[in-house]
Amino acid sequence: MSDTKIAPDGLQVAHTLDAKGLSCPMPLLRTKKEIEKIKSGEILEILGTDPGSRNDIPGWCSRAGHEYLGEKEDSGFIRFYVKKK
Amino acid sequence: MSTIGEKVNEIYDSFFKKTWSPMTGGIMLALLAIFMFAWQRPWGIVGGIRNWSDWIFYAVGIFDEEPPNPLYYSSSVMDLGLLAGAWISAVVAREFAFRMPPVLELWKGLIAGIFMGIGSALAFGCNVGGFYSALHNLAANGLTMMVGLIAGVIVGLKYLYWEMEHLTPGPAGPTFLGNIPPVFGILGIFGLIACAYAYGYSDVEDAGLMAGYLLIGSGIGFVFHRSRLCMVNAFREPFMTGEAAMGKAIAISVILGTFGIAIMKYMELRPEEAYVVPAFWWGSLVGGFIFGAAMVVAGGCGSGSLWRVAEGQIKLWVVIISFAMTNSLIRYWFEETGFIDKLGQPVYLPDIFGYGGSIFIIIAAMLIWYIVIDWNEESNKFVIEM
Repeated sequence: MSDTKIAPDGLQVAHTLDAKGLSCPMPLLRTKKEIEKIKSGEILEILGTDPGSRNDIPGWCSRAGHEYLGEKEDSGFIRFYVKKK
Repeated sequence: MSTIGEKVNEIYDSFFKKTWSPMTGGIMLALLAIFMFAWQRPWGIVGGIRNWSDWIFYAVGIFDEEPPNPLYYSSSVMDLGLLAGAWISAVVAREFAFRMPPVLELWKGLIAGIFMGIGSALAFGCNVGGFYSALHNLAANGLTMMVGLIAGVIVGLKYLYWEMEHLTPGPAGPTFLGNIPPVFGILGIFGLIACAYAYGYSDVEDAGLMAGYLLIGSGIGFVFHRSRLCMVNAFREPFMTGEAAMGKAIAISVILGTFGIAIMKYMELRPEEAYVVPAFWWGSLVGGFIFGAAMVVAGGCGSGSLWRVAEGQIKLWVVIISFAMTNSLIRYWFEETGFIDKLGQPVYLPDIFGYGGSIFIIIAAMLIWYIVIDWNEESNKFVIEM
């Protein structure tokens, strides 16, 4: 049973992906593509509405070696933060 | 030391708020599928949603024969239960909201749903009736549909990769009604119990049976949503990211359910022919291929689309509607033309291999799948690069 990881405040985001309205697996596929656009150590922010991303994005990060920094609830969507390896 | 109140909160959070592991979901699903068959019949999805769409075609005069009452039709009540259980889980976990996708996603849902309707008509069921429950019931068409599903998933994934390079989804629509208080989910549980009692006290023939379909179906919906159990994910992820947790959970779930249901058939507690459909081999193989490709594009299989409907995902509403209506029409056409008799043979594995041999074959198939995707999780040998 997994806990939600809350992202710290004040993260410097290098790039934002708007995946709102997309359902599984599109948020993850677009995340895989967008992370290629940033440099190692930079942070990608993903905006999503699919609760499934709460499992998909951290799971993919641990497999791909990126650091999952957590999520933040916004009004009607979730912000996810990934630091590129 | 924690107080009783803190302990109750901890249990509440574990049961209603935190996401269960795929393996927990897979084991619970197998138990509920066994309970469903012990109650009376195997668990399925397509029969219920087809019943709802049959009513639409009957109402507009396309179908002549009045379909069964959806409130007293086993497949329909199972699906209503699944929707209710998944909705309760989503509301209690504050994950329910109507989510309007970009227009491209709606088109994908519509077209994928049409192909899911065609595939499931050819295979006499979706990933549940044609694969998961078929294997529980020792039907050979479950094995051929599995092969078709795997091949189809690869094609569907390649389409998604193509789409990533050539199409942009556009802006999403609004998200609304996302703030329903969790207490409404708890009230939903009492509502389900009240409906079960209403069936129990009804004078309608076999109404009491409906109480079981509703409650067990709602348990299935609750388990699906809490664990986000997804057979699309189980087949797709080994090829997309290498992740195998969902695939392994489904493999174990098939094995557990097979033992439970084979016992009931062997002991003649339930009919051997249950869920052994005339789709071996080509109907289930080709139907599985079409269904497998389409479910990847849809983002949900038969069961996965239904529980996401209950979570408020509008794309999956479109998928279920086009899936159900296409299945209705194609099934009607198959019956009218006699093509339904040309999809294959009903092959009950114990008639050829005995009960021991049949269970061995199904366990072997699942273990091979389990071992291959587990190995692939480390080696990424089957991961298709973008």
